[in-house]
Amino acid sequence: MARSGAKDDAYVVSHSTKFLARATTERRHDFGQYAPDDARARYCEPWRFPIVDTHGPAEGEDRAAAYALNDVTFVYHDADGQEPAEVGVVGTFAGLHQVTPLRRVGLPEGPSPYWAATVVVPKAQVHRYLFRLDGRLLRDPVNPQAVTMDNGRQWSRFFTDACALPLVLDEGERALLDRLTDHILPFRTSSGRRFLSDHYAELDRSEPAFVHAYRLDESVGVVNYIDKLLARQESHYLDDYRVCLRQIDRLLRARNPYSEPARMGREMFEQLYGELGSGSVTGWDYDAYAQPQFFLSLLRRHTFTGAFSHPKYGGNSAAAGWAYLQELLRDEQGNTLFNWRRAIEAPLGDNVDYVG
Amino acid sequence: MAEFEVVVIGSGAGGAPVAHELARAGKGVVVLEKGPLLRPQYQTPDGVSDFKRDEMFATGPEKRITVEGMANRGESFYSSHVEPDLNDEPHVYRGPDDRDRATIEGYTAQVVGGGTQLYGAVSLRFFPEDFTLASFNRGRTDLREDPRGDIQRETRDWPFTYDQLESYYAKAERLIGINGTVAGQRKPFSADHYQKPVSPNPISTYVEAGMDALGLRRYRTPLAVITEDHAPSGRSAPTDPDTVKTAFVNRYGDPLGLKSNTWVSLLSPVADLPNFQLRPNSHVTHLASRGDRVTTVNYVDGAGRPREVSADLVVVACSAIESVRLLKLSAQAGGDFAERIDGNGLLGAYFLTHCFGGAEARMPRRYDKALSLDSDWATDAGGEPDFLREHGLWAGATMYNNTSDQALPISLARTHGAADLDTVWKVFVNDNQLVGEAMNRWLDADLGTRLSVSFMANQVPLRSNRIELHPSVTDKWGRPVAYILKQWHAHDRYLMDVMARRCADIIKAGSGVEPESPGGAYMAENALARIANHILGGARFGTDPGDSVLDPTCRAWQFDNLYVTDGSCMPTSGGANPTLTIQANAFRVADHLLQRL
Repeated sequence: MARSGAKDDAYVVSHSTKFLARATTERRHDFGQYAPDDARARYCEPWRFPIVDTHGPAEGEDRAAAYALNDVTFVYHDADGQEPAEVGVVGTFAGLHQVTPLRRVGLPEGPSPYWAATVVVPKAQVHRYLFRLDGRLLRDPVNPQAVTMDNGRQWSRFFTDACALPLVLDEGERALLDRLTDHILPFRTSSGRRFLSDHYAELDRSEPAFVHAYRLDESVGVVNYIDKLLARQESHYLDDYRVCLRQIDRLLRARNPYSEPARMGREMFEQLYGELGSGSVTGWDYDAYAQPQFFLSLLRRHTFTGAFSHPKYGGNSAAAGWAYLQELLRDEQGNTLFNWRRAIEAPLGDNVDYVG
Repeated sequence: MAEFEVVVIGSGAGGAPVAHELARAGKGVVVLEKGPLLRPQYQTPDGVSDFKRDEMFATGPEKRITVEGMANRGESFYSSHVEPDLNDEPHVYRGPDDRDRATIEGYTAQVVGGGTQLYGAVSLRFFPEDFTLASFNRGRTDLREDPRGDIQRETRDWPFTYDQLESYYAKAERLIGINGTVAGQRKPFSADHYQKPVSPNPISTYVEAGMDALGLRRYRTPLAVITEDHAPSGRSAPTDPDTVKTAFVNRYGDPLGLKSNTWVSLLSPVADLPNFQLRPNSHVTHLASRGDRVTTVNYVDGAGRPREVSADLVVVACSAIESVRLLKLSAQAGGDFAERIDGNGLLGAYFLTHCFGGAEARMPRRYDKALSLDSDWATDAGGEPDFLREHGLWAGATMYNNTSDQALPISLARTHGAADLDTVWKVFVNDNQLVGEAMNRWLDADLGTRLSVSFMANQVPLRSNRIELHPSVTDKWGRPVAYILKQWHAHDRYLMDVMARRCADIIKAGSGVEPESPGGAYMAENALARIANHILGGARFGTDPGDSVLDPTCRAWQFDNLYVTDGSCMPTSGGANPTLTIQANAFRVADHLLQRL
């Protein structure tokens, strides 16, 4: 559904200039995530496109229903001065044959090279799309996310908030990662487990805030968060994860040939964690990845932010991380001293002034 | 004929007051702001703000420094969504090993409203003595840790006194929207325009008790957050003012527009006037001049296309480092601009930040620190002349407690063992013992229990502390970036030690807990980079054209129509957070400009 007027020209320019406007073509933002000929390396944080944002309830629109939606703003940047007469976007979000037209965005000084359109897309979805310039289809020249179809054609990809569909890590990688993040998080204590079990059991999954709480596990969706982070903001670390998880899988199999690594005992992961931290991992191939401590430092930051950042990023499923702190941090009378709901938007939190 | 009567470059604390006053007086004003226009909920078509209560906004995803030649190339950095990207526009500083490093320190925020969008909103006045430190220290023989006499040789009085600025402090407090209390402050007030403060967070009771036990007069820290309806800006406070207390304060823009940044308080109220234009996403590259007049302001627009604008008066207010850089880049562009702006070689010199630091401890009980603004209690006792003489100090400091720091889990983790923007996450990610039950104990022990008291003091002005253009590093527009050369003076280190101990005394007297490691900015891993985003000096004003860059009205001495109104004009950095003084001074200059137009 196209949504006109919700995101005006001022919004588009103010979400584009810093990242796209520049005189240099230097690859200042290449942290190893791009092919050598990929011009996206010139842009700052190109993963921000298309812009996925809160869907503000329109007049008369139910707030809870609106909370299940995102506004997605496509921005085509005519960096090379092609001056197309028409720009549109086609994608799975609207039926593949339906072209959503982009409007030319204006600046105070006149026309701009930005074209934009905002569409409403449900949360927790993944879509592919192509821009259509004067009838010619092409990938988004900014957004690095892409999928390759069976016919070899590359499409651009985006996903909306609280997305739970695996994007870049395979099932085996996710299972191993689940065990590693579980070791880091505070939830594996007996009281932590009991709390999470109760929290998820009591969730009303028809509630708009919790409808995407997919994974009722001890890691509160951290693995899903990491999958999304590696698909988008920190794609430069996808290879680190793949290489290291492959090594971990191999060396755990060598240590215990009779069990799948993800099913091995807790002590195996405790030992592995300690070795990663010391940088001396028995069986590690240092030629393939020189610094296992670095991988652990990544994993520690990603795990913690996944557990305690806003659930829209894919972790902290059903706000279980925050609810855990709400339970843990209490005064002598039993009142919580971590009242996260007060500042966070309803219906996830209690705040009805702030819409998210 | 010029297109506008005034062009203001920068929309933060130094630029917005000028634009507000001149626009309201019917003058033709255009504001050029490098950053985006990010609006609160009540100003957008769909009621959604571009600011979020989202911890990932304050410190974004990891990126890596790719700037050639930097000693920290390849290292991680994290910037909020409105701070510049270090690979596009780094600040470079020279480290203790004489090697250059890129740093996020020294940038406020690139957004309409500038640093006032992200700041903690502490809005203190300077002490009266802060304006006359040369006079105050003249003839003293008791100054400690200053064997070469730098303080008396290098310090300059401001070209006006506290009393002459006082009415502009009052004006700023009225127009911006600040809550706090006058009683307990040692600065004279002609009027009390403060809104009523909300109740303090209970953890601040320890600070209240500590200040009382030591006999230090205290007051509620003035904060630029409205707690009542604010008629000058047309903003409404929530029915329950207590809801302004969230932990999403320092380093967060406010989606509800209750924090009194200069967009909601000063620019938005004039935005619809026909004689006012705001051009966000517009990056000024250089000024061009003919004789003693700046004729053209050259900028790239939101699309990156070169543009220019002309005005009768040109006001530069890009924050100190970037203002100095813009003037130096203009000098490079040709003509006699260089001779006029820097004929005495002082442009960029006497760059200042603050001596800052404090003490921190874990309180015996836990409190919900998320129900807080940035600070609750302050004291001016560190600015009493008797206290300064007793300790052989050249200048005083305001002390206040920080309430919102580390109130949320990710902010607790990213600042675990790190106190500045260049070292966030570094300790947490390598503290491998923090797992499982140990992480549980850490969260239990530190979340909602930590209390700090900070001080903010003058830094000794030194000519060798300066802003230059870097000889090789350029920004994404191909222009040299700012190069920060800064050292701490021995007296700075001594002052920080004294004041940190005083902060520790407050905590101990109020709670009985011995603070862990009182200290100052000079002790940090990257001590030479640390700036606290209080960036001042580099284009100081004065009464002698041979000894200053600007005249007392903030006009560049050898130009008729070029003014600089941000913190770069300050000859000393003041014993408090600088924003309110920058705003008051900008209102003062606006009065002068109105007389000219």
